[in-house]
Amino acid sequence: MELSYQIPRPALLWILAAVVLVILPQSIRMPMWISGIALLCVAWRLLIYSGHLDYPGRMMRVAVVLFTLLVSLSQIRTIGIGLDSAASLLTLGFVFKLIEMRQRRDIYVVISLCFVMSMVAFLYSQSVVTTAYISLVVAVTLGAMIAANRTARIADSANTAGLAIKIALQALPLTIVLFIVFPRIAPLWAVPVQSGVNSTGVTDEMSPGDISQLGRSAELAFRVQFDGAESLPHEELYWRGLVLDDFDGLTWRRTRSSSSYSVASALADFRISYEDRMRTSGEPISYNVIMEPTQQPWLFGLHLAEDVEDELFRSRNFELFNNGLISQRLSYDLRSHLQNQTDILLLDSMRNRSLRLPEEGNARSLTFARELRTAVDTDRDFANALLGHFRQNEFFYTLNPPLLGENRIDEFLFDTMAGFCEHYASSFTFLLRAVGIPARVVVGYQGAEQNPYENYLMVYQYNAHAWTEAWFEGEGWVRFDPTGAVSPTRIEQGVQEALRDDPAFMEDDLFAASRLGSIGWLNSMRLRLDAIEYEWNQLVVNYNEDVQFELFERLFGEVTEEKVILLMSSLAAIVLIAIGFTVINIEPRRQRTPLARFYLTVCRELAKIGLRRGRGEGPIAYRDRVCRERPELAEAMAELTEHYVRLNYKEKALDEAEQKAELKTLMEMYKRLKAKLPALAGFRGSA
Amino acid sequence: MTASLRVALNDNYQRWIAKKIPPRDSVTLNRKNIFIIPTRNGLLFLFCAGLVFIAAINYAVSLAFALAFMMVSVFILSILHCFNNLNQLSLASRTAGDVFCGEEATFRVQLSRSPSRSHESLELNFLGERASYSDLAANDTEEVEVFAAANRRGEFRAPRMRVLTRFPLGLCRAWSVVDLNQHCLVYPRPVPFALTQFDSGASGGSDSAISHEGSEDFYGLRDYVPGDSLRQVAWKNLARGQGMHLKQFVDYVDNKIWLDWDMFYGFDVEGRLSRLCYCVIQLSKTGNDFGMRLPGAEYAPSSGPEHRKKLLRALARFGAQ
Repeated sequence: MELSYQIPRPALLWILAAVVLVILPQSIRMPMWISGIALLCVAWRLLIYSGHLDYPGRMMRVAVVLFTLLVSLSQIRTIGIGLDSAASLLTLGFVFKLIEMRQRRDIYVVISLCFVMSMVAFLYSQSVVTTAYISLVVAVTLGAMIAANRTARIADSANTAGLAIKIALQALPLTIVLFIVFPRIAPLWAVPVQSGVNSTGVTDEMSPGDISQLGRSAELAFRVQFDGAESLPHEELYWRGLVLDDFDGLTWRRTRSSSSYSVASALADFRISYEDRMRTSGEPISYNVIMEPTQQPWLFGLHLAEDVEDELFRSRNFELFNNGLISQRLSYDLRSHLQNQTDILLLDSMRNRSLRLPEEGNARSLTFARELRTAVDTDRDFANALLGHFRQNEFFYTLNPPLLGENRIDEFLFDTMAGFCEHYASSFTFLLRAVGIPARVVVGYQGAEQNPYENYLMVYQYNAHAWTEAWFEGEGWVRFDPTGAVSPTRIEQGVQEALRDDPAFMEDDLFAASRLGSIGWLNSMRLRLDAIEYEWNQLVVNYNEDVQFELFERLFGEVTEEKVILLMSSLAAIVLIAIGFTVINIEPRRQRTPLARFYLTVCRELAKIGLRRGRGEGPIAYRDRVCRERPELAEAMAELTEHYVRLNYKEKALDEAEQKAELKTLMEMYKRLKAKLPALAGFRGSA
Repeated sequence: MTASLRVALNDNYQRWIAKKIPPRDSVTLNRKNIFIIPTRNGLLFLFCAGLVFIAAINYAVSLAFALAFMMVSVFILSILHCFNNLNQLSLASRTAGDVFCGEEATFRVQLSRSPSRSHESLELNFLGERASYSDLAANDTEEVEVFAAANRRGEFRAPRMRVLTRFPLGLCRAWSVVDLNQHCLVYPRPVPFALTQFDSGASGGSDSAISHEGSEDFYGLRDYVPGDSLRQVAWKNLARGQGMHLKQFVDYVDNKIWLDWDMFYGFDVEGRLSRLCYCVIQLSKTGNDFGMRLPGAEYAPSSGPEHRKKLLRALARFGAQ
């Protein structure tokens, strides 16, 4: 039976469509040649379909298996066993199966793989767009399943598509119930998603040009929602990321020895003194951050941030780290003390690190700093004088600074005098260190855009920023932003305003935020879309075992196993029954007329005296039996039955008024019948 | 042991199914007589849903959970849709044609639906036989021919017929086994042999020829020849003084051919019937009248399709009464 099975031709087209759709998002991440092979296989299958080519022979199949083996080995050698290599292997196997698909079983292997590939797509992204796209893939795959089970005779693709969408929509309520109620299990053996996607965002190295590169990108970095109605002025929004304190004359780096977040002993060491090193005042502000994947471990927050859930790590420089790379959107809650003092007493090791300068180079800057220091009284005055220097001289804030040579601090300060925040932060820190003030560069983001539709802030890559922290006796670390001295607009109103006329700003994104910003409705659409994305993220993507537990607790009090099982089964049952009724259209019951209903009550009365009307016994036959068994009733029964039968089998149906009148007659006849009944009942009772 | 167990189980099943879906000329399928189980493909699909679910746990991906739940929901829905595709489908038996032993008996089944429904990709077959396919989408009724091998001569009662569907998703199959009280008659398997003895009969011009010295019909008188049997002397004529004559009898030998049970002396019952069957088929092609004698029955010579059918049915039923 299965041997003679022929894949219906429309089904094949549906399957090919599903396969192409499901591979498409993967093809961006896969090596080009795999996409090529996939395309080739689809084309081959189409040629088989049109009769130009035959199914692959035995040799061909062996060759393909060997090829796939070789590829997998080479993939494991080059990329390693990760999501990317697994995804490309899955794709290869998938498309090869396609060309030798003949039986119904093969179709289902391909279709099942379509679903698995859809899952893989979710591992890379869970955005609204991805979800919508995968929904389309699922609908097309369902269409393929339907087409495979349809005879070609009536297979019409509009009908198939309609049915597929109908089934998908009917499946949706149950899916939602299961999604909300089905107990989530925390990963037991969490395998971080390792993907070859390049890391984005601020890095732990800063060479001139790094941050201005980010300034060209309008990608979202993270979203922030403050608890309550708190809102901070734009110039307070310093999203502190990493502390870079090692300078070699070209590049600022994070000192490796301070990357102790992964070393347990070092962690324990600073934990002891941790509370002593900070002093806070005032109420902390709480907020939630949703980070876009960066493939880096570090996080951003307002200084001085502490982790509410106690799941994150804090380094000795009060940086925040996630446990593992951020390969999926990550949501975390922070509490920040904006009024804070850290390291009132500076450890010698840290002081030394924060003073170290390259052995040689930038001689002009060094002399400039020392001369200026002698002119002022305190370190603090010196820092302010430096800011004044930036403010008063012809410094430019630009994304396209001139190229710098060997002594870049010198060249920037005295020759080109044009640069982006990294130039200012870098030279400012250098000058502070030159006169023995401990100082370090901090990288992160500055500013944000408020989404008017939902109450949250959006921070983009072009908000990337670098500033300086300087240490003063009795004050601890103090934030200085030399860029603000050059371009106050950047800090107070944002980079968009500051770089309004700079052609390089966001040049990577043709339809970027601020370009659209000038077109009103496009901009509001952009903000609205982002608001949807944000809500989606809050409601769906972040729905995990903790959120589920909290929801249950809020709704049903203490969460017990029985409650969960009861809730789940009852909800699933309700939904199933509801869907069942929509799917299975139950044949309507025949409507009984009032006359028929009355006749049935008469029958019920007679049944009480032992004259039950049999199943399928017509009124006439019933009357005859009643007359035979209870001759006393014969007259009344015959009258009633005849009248009823006459009415019931009339050619023309009675209208309502007529029915009412006839019902009255019947009732009177019944009274006559009933008059004989009590005696009978008594007779039966005595007998 | 296992064989007897299987037989016992099968008997139990037959009894149970006969009670659950009693034989009727027409059956409307409903929840009482439709069965559903997942297909192997359905199990594969569920396995993949499990795979997606495990991946969702492992990578803590919310939407992969959603996908896994979607797959499970689709599976559950496919059960409902599959059931609905059979629900309220009516099957009614139509007359079945007679068939020769060794051929496939063709039973015609009328499928009908209520106007608001449609039934697609229906597969009808008797157990172990090839399936016929039909859709009930465009018209309210369709007639399907369902085949069963007829391997025994005589009255053939169709076994239970399975009506099955995997529509719409192929993840589960819904089916019912119905008994529509279908019968047909199976003629003996015709066994060919050389049919020379009947060839000449076809060309005869006159209705009858006379074979002398018969014993059946009175033909006339002839003169007595000494030595003739005295039994045939026409004594009445002699008494009237007309001389001694002999009454002469003859048999009429016609070219109306008779097929006789004893023509195939030496074969067993089925062998004789098979050859007679072959003769009937061949002779009816010539258009000549022919009759047939079976033990206890005789069929007068005639011709035409009706006659042919009568004789074949007689052969089919032979020994049944």
